[in-house]
Amino acid sequence: MITIFRARTIITMNPSNPCGTHVAVRDGMILGVGTYDEVKGWGEHVIDETFSDYVIVPGFVEGHAHVMAGGMLQRPYVGFFDRPLPDGQMARGIKSYAALITRLREIDAALTDSDEQLIAEGFDPIYFPDQPRLNRHHLDQVSTTRPIFIHHANGHLATANTAMLKLNNITKDLQIEGLARDAAGEIDGELREPPAMSLCRSAFREIQRSNMTELAIQNFAALARNAGITTCTDLGGISILAPNALERWRALTIDESFPLRVAQYNLPAMPGATADFESIAKEFVKLKKSGSERLRFLGVKFVLDGSIQGFTALLNQPGYFSGEDHGQLLAVPDQLVDWMLPFHRAGLSIHMHCNGNRTQDLAIETIEALLKIAPHPDHRHTITHAQLTTQAQLRKMAKLGLCANFFTNHLWYWGDQHYEITVGPERANALEPCASALREGVSFSFHSDAGVTPLGPLHTMWCAVNRVTPKGRVLGPLERITPAQALKAATIDAAYQLHLDHEVGSLEAGKQADFAVLHDDPLAVEPMVIRDIKVWGTVLGGRVFKAA
Amino acid sequence: MIAFTVIGGYLGAGKTTLLNHFLTQSSGRRFGVLINDFGAINIDAELIASRGETTITLTNGCICCSLADGFLNAVDQLLALETPPEHIVVEASGVAEVNQLAQYGHLPGLFLDGVLVVVDVETLLEKVNDRYVGQTVRRQINSADLVILNKVDLIDPSVLKACFEWLKQAHPKVRVVSSVRCELPLPVLAGQPMHERRSEFLFPEHAHYTSWNHVLNDPVTREQLEFFAEGLDATVIRAKGTSGGPSGSGLQLQVVGRRVQITSMNNVGLGTRLVAIGLAGQIDTRSLDALAAQSFGGAR
Repeated sequence: MITIFRARTIITMNPSNPCGTHVAVRDGMILGVGTYDEVKGWGEHVIDETFSDYVIVPGFVEGHAHVMAGGMLQRPYVGFFDRPLPDGQMARGIKSYAALITRLREIDAALTDSDEQLIAEGFDPIYFPDQPRLNRHHLDQVSTTRPIFIHHANGHLATANTAMLKLNNITKDLQIEGLARDAAGEIDGELREPPAMSLCRSAFREIQRSNMTELAIQNFAALARNAGITTCTDLGGISILAPNALERWRALTIDESFPLRVAQYNLPAMPGATADFESIAKEFVKLKKSGSERLRFLGVKFVLDGSIQGFTALLNQPGYFSGEDHGQLLAVPDQLVDWMLPFHRAGLSIHMHCNGNRTQDLAIETIEALLKIAPHPDHRHTITHAQLTTQAQLRKMAKLGLCANFFTNHLWYWGDQHYEITVGPERANALEPCASALREGVSFSFHSDAGVTPLGPLHTMWCAVNRVTPKGRVLGPLERITPAQALKAATIDAAYQLHLDHEVGSLEAGKQADFAVLHDDPLAVEPMVIRDIKVWGTVLGGRVFKAA
Repeated sequence: MIAFTVIGGYLGAGKTTLLNHFLTQSSGRRFGVLINDFGAINIDAELIASRGETTITLTNGCICCSLADGFLNAVDQLLALETPPEHIVVEASGVAEVNQLAQYGHLPGLFLDGVLVVVDVETLLEKVNDRYVGQTVRRQINSADLVILNKVDLIDPSVLKACFEWLKQAHPKVRVVSSVRCELPLPVLAGQPMHERRSEFLFPEHAHYTSWNHVLNDPVTREQLEFFAEGLDATVIRAKGTSGGPSGSGLQLQVVGRRVQITSMNNVGLGTRLVAIGLAGQIDTRSLDALAAQSFGGAR
């Protein structure tokens, strides 16, 4: 059966056939895009007018997200910025402590079980520089009996109320360093870094448990669908490492009603495990072959450092603008070639988390070494985040065939902080250097790193095009790119990075009928409103999925 | 109380050698081992009794092989064993922030027995200036209670001297011992709970180490113990002591390198007993006598 979808405009991202009004689909595959006359000849068909007032673009491809984005939204969100929810509602950003307390009181009142702990997500102290640190006394204003745990957006901090501290027997006698104290030596409720945070065992376990559930995966897929994404990475997944995770993923994605193609880039191992990377790479190759329509195992992820706003990214000179440098590698540089070589040889793609540019030097050197040992002309290994990529690094990356996956959402969410606090004006203006990457010939895409920031390719595109911050700065106007260049990065170039560009990322004869259906044309609207374009939904392999 | 030791140091320094040394040398002590790293677990084969899915059973303890649910969870699992370990030893990865791991040693029921950082004397001066790991290696050394300058048999004495000088200049407060294949006497590496056996006060004869003992018939105060501990100089690697009154309740002192811990404890014998261990030829027993006299008023 052939369906011809009519649209107001179809943008294909296929340079030889850039647009049309009709797309013919058979068995989930595109037969052709063009005018009705150009596609009607494929045979007997029905015309689907659902999208006749809408704009079809290739389904967005998100190159760096985490299923945790769906897991965390099982809990209330109390971040500074608005956050879309799986059901299509918007959680409004919390701009003051008073608003935080009000929101938490509402949640507390709505809970029926008086013993149930209240765990909320997304608070970030970096947006409240003029306030005292959030402490247990703030949260005790919400409840003195219900245990409350506020998990901060950076993942390294939490704040607990007195009841939560009591529930977990956290007393002032504990000499653990991360327990913040007031002037009198009493614990003030802020818990810094895992040794202190994990003391709130009850909350910690609930977070770990719920991030791995079916609901987490379904939320993740719903968020992606609502944002127009049809192919989404779970980058740094532990699907093959955690018990039953693989079965859970397979069972969900085998169902045609699952609205997303998930590209898994697993971590190679969890710490503590006896990890033989040769056999793990073999296992990954087997998994890759076992990939299905909606679940692929494409490669491996290595996390090499921390974050810029956490001051744990490893920076080249002149280092951090202000604040204390806690730059730290999370892998042993002398082992990296040995660790990555089995994956590289096996033809798996390697994505390397580098936030600091010194870390990125290490990644680039490592890939150069791998390529000398085992040539691989079409590896498409990718540096993900790549936020402080320098001009020299771009030139080298181009030579080596390395891709960049820029965290353009940082320009909005932390752009002002990078300018004022972390790296200073010059390097803040050079963050996520998309225009330079284009000029130097480095293939790139963008990402949200969801749940760090929300899934939303139109937002990541908007950041790359406008580079505007909440305080109204334009960070590095010379690094802005055009909407067409941004759409390319969010679709076909992201697919290229995942070695999926022959299947998805553009609308071409023989490729998957994966569309994002938009209320407006991102190439025609005023660039500042790209992120406000509404998403009608998606089409995945010819099947229609309406956004919530 | 369960002792908690962190073994840190950069790749190749000798952390696993030290861990094996720990496990083979300690007679009768039951270990729980956590390896906070990727890669093969290189425990001496004769120590391994059996291998399971997530644990390796040792002849004298076990290794928990999964930190996937977090470090605290792994510690909790060790504590929940039918016969919990008497000593938890953590081998950190080569780039780990050892100070952070050490914090788990402050959990209820545990006491931090020491952060041991192994350094390869052949590469120290290169690694501390390495653009990728220099800061990390410096932070490791700075967090160490005891730095073990390993592989001293493989280098020219002038290099060893340069290493000692660099350490003294860059980290003046850090305690340093040198070793070959991490072969250090256990009392240097680990403090024993003093109530176990009186004989453990006696430091075994050793060519490179000397011990100093001090006994008082009366108990001393926490402030006096603090004064004494603060007065110990860099030649003292470890010190321990107990002080008890007629009721049996009293205080325990544990010193490893720069770390001083004074805790209340019960079932302490009447009187005060102290022992310190230092490098032979360096530790100055006379000045320790003087320090004790100054701290405790000279009563013997």
